Amino acid sequence: MGQQIESALRQSMHRVLVVLVSFLPGVLVFLLAVILLTAFGLLLAAIVKRILVAARFDERLASKETAGSPASISDWAPSHSPTLLVARVVLWACILLGVAIGISAIDASYSANSQLEQFLLPYLTHVLGAILLLFFGSLLARFLARSVLIGAVNAQLQYARFLSLGIKWLVLVLTAAMALDHLQIGGGIIELAFGILFGGIVLTLALAIGLGSRDLVSRSIEKTIDKPAATRDPEPFPAGETPRPKLRHF
Amino acid sequence: MTEPTNATSTQESAPVAATSGVGAPLLICLPSATAETVETMRERIATTLQGHNLFLATPGGASAHPAHGVTVVDYPVASRGDAGWALTATDYLGAAQLATEYDAAATLVLGNEAASLSVAGLQALAEAVLLGKADLAVARYQTGPHDALVSSALLYPLTNALFGTPAHLPLPLDAAFSARMAKRLIMVARKPNNAAQPEPLVWPVAEAAIASFSVKEIDAGPRTLPQPTDTDLNTLLAEIVGSLFGDIEAKANFWQRARAPMPAKPNVEPARTASETEELEDVRAMADSFRNAYINLQEIWSLVLPPQSLLGLKRISRAPAEEFAMPADLWARTIYDFVLAYHLRTINRGHLLGALTPLYLAWVASHLRQSAGNAATAAFHVEEAASAFVAEKPYIVSRWRWPDRFNP
Repeated sequence: MGQQIESALRQSMHRVLVVLVSFLPGVLVFLLAVILLTAFGLLLAAIVKRILVAARFDERLASKETAGSPASISDWAPSHSPTLLVARVVLWACILLGVAIGISAIDASYSANSQLEQFLLPYLTHVLGAILLLFFGSLLARFLARSVLIGAVNAQLQYARFLSLGIKWLVLVLTAAMALDHLQIGGGIIELAFGILFGGIVLTLALAIGLGSRDLVSRSIEKTIDKPAATRDPEPFPAGETPRPKLRHF
Repeated sequence: MTEPTNATSTQESAPVAATSGVGAPLLICLPSATAETVETMRERIATTLQGHNLFLATPGGASAHPAHGVTVVDYPVASRGDAGWALTATDYLGAAQLATEYDAAATLVLGNEAASLSVAGLQALAEAVLLGKADLAVARYQTGPHDALVSSALLYPLTNALFGTPAHLPLPLDAAFSARMAKRLIMVARKPNNAAQPEPLVWPVAEAAIASFSVKEIDAGPRTLPQPTDTDLNTLLAEIVGSLFGDIEAKANFWQRARAPMPAKPNVEPARTASETEELEDVRAMADSFRNAYINLQEIWSLVLPPQSLLGLKRISRAPAEEFAMPADLWARTIYDFVLAYHLRTINRGHLLGALTPLYLAWVASHLRQSAGNAATAAFHVEEAASAFVAEKPYIVSRWRWPDRFNP
């Protein structure tokens, strides 16, 4: 009995050590690939940055952008410099290339029927996709929240902040659900939870706007009903009263 | 230091032919006139500007025969938006190209509802350029406290302070320019930046200032001011102010060196108190609207404005309608901070210009309350704002050069 336990323990330890021994070179190659490609990326980014600065890339791009355009590349760029954005894209592309090379090195260091390989490698790409989804989702949420806030304030809506928050959380919830779905976490629960949350937010917003705009809607309906009367000659102002002058902004 | 551009006003209406060189080619462009307006204007021009070699350019004018000594020519316009309330790059380009073609000594471009422009105003505009008094003459009309509010609040004070040219309508409806100004306008109107805009604007006063051309403001009396067909103030304000901010950004090297004259404040009678005025109802609604904007937009304003300005805005938001007032220096600093944020792209430019609308409406509310329906008091308030912009100019120059410096 004791011998069997000892044998089983030895065999399992051996298997773990074999896995580690076959895994470590892969990890080392992974790290080496990432470090080398990062260094190469830094160098390439510096060169690209110099070239773009010399070519006055930022100024050229700014001159082509129109004043009325809702969003420009500069708004998404760090420090609002498209040159810096391009340089960083180059750097991160090199880093990602290093990661890809490293992953394939790990892949090569494993046996073909390894369960870890079958699970880990595709999952890493899913993690990367989920991170990108979260990043762009949060950017979009902030942009839309601000657009809605400003639009609602200028439309003189009292619940502008509430509306803006609602939009922000709608996009964030959608992004989070997409990211979790991409990571294959939660399965049906996520879909259900997302449906409940999304529907809840939409219902809350609809109720809030509906209740808050009751007066607005009733005034609008009243105006529509009274419209035929408007086609008649306007009633003269009472004697001694003159119509208030209209604001002319231009 | 660059000296300020000469700008004076006149209401003289002496016949142009009597004092200027007879026979000089004078081109009058009516880019958006109806057939009825063209006929009216042809007679008026023939009698007012007699003695000159007169050309009247209107769309489809090639088919008309010369009459009253006025040759009607075709106005070459490919397309025209529905701006109508001010002259656009397309108008200037068409007029300036015709001026070059006909070798015109002076060119008048008259906007929508040109028939409502007074004879004296028409004469004075032509005379200013024909007599060599100015390269650019822009009209100023008799306006009340409720008129031309965007120009009074933003366009005039900014143009005056930064370019040293006191033109009350920097985006004119009627203008006259010389041959050399025409050449410059062709160059400016053809810029690729302008081509990309749906309704490109040109800021002729600023262009004349940086070219060291003389600018003259003509008191043209009363005139019907056409209004934009698009009634969405937010869109229009963002378009116009965005265009001006862009122009300011492009001409930063000039205005950082230019000196601006302090505008003369007109003498006015003491204003009535707000409670006596019929504007108070409007002011109350606008003050409520500003309060709502202050609560909601603080987060965005705090990215653009320093704490001191935010504190000033907080005080205004708490004031009752009877005391609602936007101090001139706060207004000037706020606009300068927005110009700077536009330049630095602190936030998305669309968001930035959208966040300016409630502040502009707060200035309008303050203007209505302080002017109390009196045109003279309104003019005083506008000049007060313009003076504040001049006084605060070192602030924008300093922040433009060193934007990261501590700014309480």
